[in-house]
Amino acid sequence: MILTVIFFFVPMVLSLVWSFTKYNGIAGPTWVGAANYTYLAQAPAFRNAVWNTVVFAAVTMVIGPALGLGAALLLNTGARAQGLFRSIFFLPVTLSLVVVGTMWKVLLAPNGLINQALAAVGINGPSWLEDPSTALLSVSFASIWAGFGFEAVIFLAALQNIPRELYEAAALDGAGRSETFRAVTLPALRPTLVFVYVVGIIGALQVYDQMFVMTRGGPLKSTTTIVYFLMDRFQRFDLGTASAAAYVLVVMLALLSAVQLRLSRRYV
Amino acid sequence: MSTTVLTSSRTRRRTGATLRTSRRRPRHTGAFVVLCLFSAALLVPVVWTVSTSLKPAGAVFSSGLSLWPTNATLDAYRSIFSSVPFARYVFNSAVVTLAIVGFNVLFDSCAAYAFAKLRFRGSSLMFGALLLTLMIPMQVNLIPLYRMMVWAHNQVPVLGADTLSGIIAPSMVQVFGIFLMRQFFASIPDSLIEAARLDGAGEFAILRKIVLPVARPGIATLAIFTFLGAWNNFLWPLIVSASDASRTLPVGLAALANKNTVNWPETMAGAVVTALPMVIIFLILQRQFIEGMTAGSVKDVA
Repeated sequence: MILTVIFFFVPMVLSLVWSFTKYNGIAGPTWVGAANYTYLAQAPAFRNAVWNTVVFAAVTMVIGPALGLGAALLLNTGARAQGLFRSIFFLPVTLSLVVVGTMWKVLLAPNGLINQALAAVGINGPSWLEDPSTALLSVSFASIWAGFGFEAVIFLAALQNIPRELYEAAALDGAGRSETFRAVTLPALRPTLVFVYVVGIIGALQVYDQMFVMTRGGPLKSTTTIVYFLMDRFQRFDLGTASAAAYVLVVMLALLSAVQLRLSRRYV
Repeated sequence: MSTTVLTSSRTRRRTGATLRTSRRRPRHTGAFVVLCLFSAALLVPVVWTVSTSLKPAGAVFSSGLSLWPTNATLDAYRSIFSSVPFARYVFNSAVVTLAIVGFNVLFDSCAAYAFAKLRFRGSSLMFGALLLTLMIPMQVNLIPLYRMMVWAHNQVPVLGADTLSGIIAPSMVQVFGIFLMRQFFASIPDSLIEAARLDGAGEFAILRKIVLPVARPGIATLAIFTFLGAWNNFLWPLIVSASDASRTLPVGLAALANKNTVNWPETMAGAVVTALPMVIIFLILQRQFIEGMTAGSVKDVA
C-alpha cells in the first residue's frame, strides 16, 4: 500500500499539478493556469496525434475482434488439432511489441518479403512505412497480427461456455445456421464483446511501442499518437505540456470507462 | 470460485471435444483446411524472421523469396553478442523480470490477503482508491516517476534512474494482481481461519499453512501475467535506462533496429533472442497461459 502511494498517488498528483505549469525539469514549475490545455486544444500537432490514435484504435478494433471471433468460431466447430491452432494464434500475443515492430519493419521494407511476394505476382508494392498514406495502416496491420490471438482465445472460452442445450433447442425449432448465430451465439457473447472492446480500445489509445520501432512517429507525423506526442514533449523538456496531454488521455479513458459501465449494466 | 470455474471449464472442454470429434469430425474438414491456411499465413513472418537471422549479412536480398536460408550461419548471433552488448541485455531482462515477479507474488498476495480477510480501519476507502488507479493510464505517472528516480539516483547512486532497481521499483506491486489474488483468498471460508486462530496460529502461520496452498493456482496465474508484462515492458525501461548497463532486451532491440537499417540478419537475430525465452516458456506452459488470460477476462466482466 505504501508502495502504491509512493509509485502511484504521488506521481499522479504531481503530474496533475505540473499540467497547469510551465516546467522544464530544471527551472522550477511556474503556474500558468490552463494555458497548456488551451494550447493543446488548438495545436495542430496534438489534434493530429489524437486523430491518428483514433484511426489506429478504429482500424485495429474493427478488424482484430472480427478476426478473433472468426478464428474462435472455426476452432469451436471441433475441427482437428484445436489446441495446436489455438496456440499458434496465441503465440504472437506473447511477443514483445518491440519484437513485433522489428519483424514487421523488415517484412514491410521496400524490398522486404511482402514487396518481394507482390513483385512475384507482378505488383509494385509501395514503401509501406515510408509513405504517409500507408504507414499508419501498416502499423495497425502489424498490431492486429500481434493481438487478435488474445481476442480469439477469449471468444473461444466464451463460446465453449454456451450451454449445448441452447443449440439443441434451436435445432429442434428448425433454426438455420445464421439464425442460430444471431439468436443464440451473439447474445451469449455480448458480455465478452463488451470486455474485448473496452480492453482493446483502452490498449489501442495508449499505443506507442510499435510506432517507436517501426516509424518513429513519421513519415510527416502520420503515425504520431497521443503517447508518442507526450513522450516527444517529455524528451524536449516540456513537462507541463506533456503532463497536460497525459491528462487528456485520462479523460478519454474515463469517458470510455463510463460507457463500459453503462453497457455492462445493460447487457451483463 | 475461480478455481471451480477453471476446472469445470477444463473438464467441459475435454468432454465436449470427445463428443464432437466422435460425432462430427467428417463434416469439419472445411474448417480444418481454413485453419491450416490461416495458421500458415500467421506463421510466415515468424519463419521468415528466424530464417533471416540465419542468413549471412550480404545474402538477404539475393535469396529472394526463399523461406529457408541455403547457407545458414550463426554470424548474426555472434555479432550481436560481441559488437552489441546483448549478453548484458539478456542478464538485465532476467534480473528485472525475476525481481518483479518475486515482489509481485509477495506484495500482491499480502495486500490481497489483508483486503480479503482482515478488517482494519479505512480498508474499504483504501480499496476504492486502488480501484481508481485501474482507471488511470501509467503514462500519467511516467514523468513524475522519472523525476523521482533522478532524485533518488542523486541521493544513492545504486537506486533510481539508469539502474536496474529504478526499472524494478514502480512495478513491485500491481493493482491488478491484488484484485486477482483477492478473488482466490475470498473463496477460503472464514471459519477455517477462525479455527486456526483459536488454535493459536499467528497471521503469518495462517497465511503459509492454509491460505497459500488454496491460492496456488492464483499465484501461478499472477506469476505468468507478471512475467509476460515485465519481460515485454518497453516504455518505462526506455525512459529510465540511459546506458547499456541498464538496458533490457526490448530497449536494446529497439536501439539496434533503429540504428541498423541494412544488416537485417543482425536485427532479426536480436528479435529472436528477445522473443525466445518468452516463446519457450509459452510452449511449456501453454494451457496455464491461455487459461490465465481467459480467467482474468471472465473475472473482469463479473
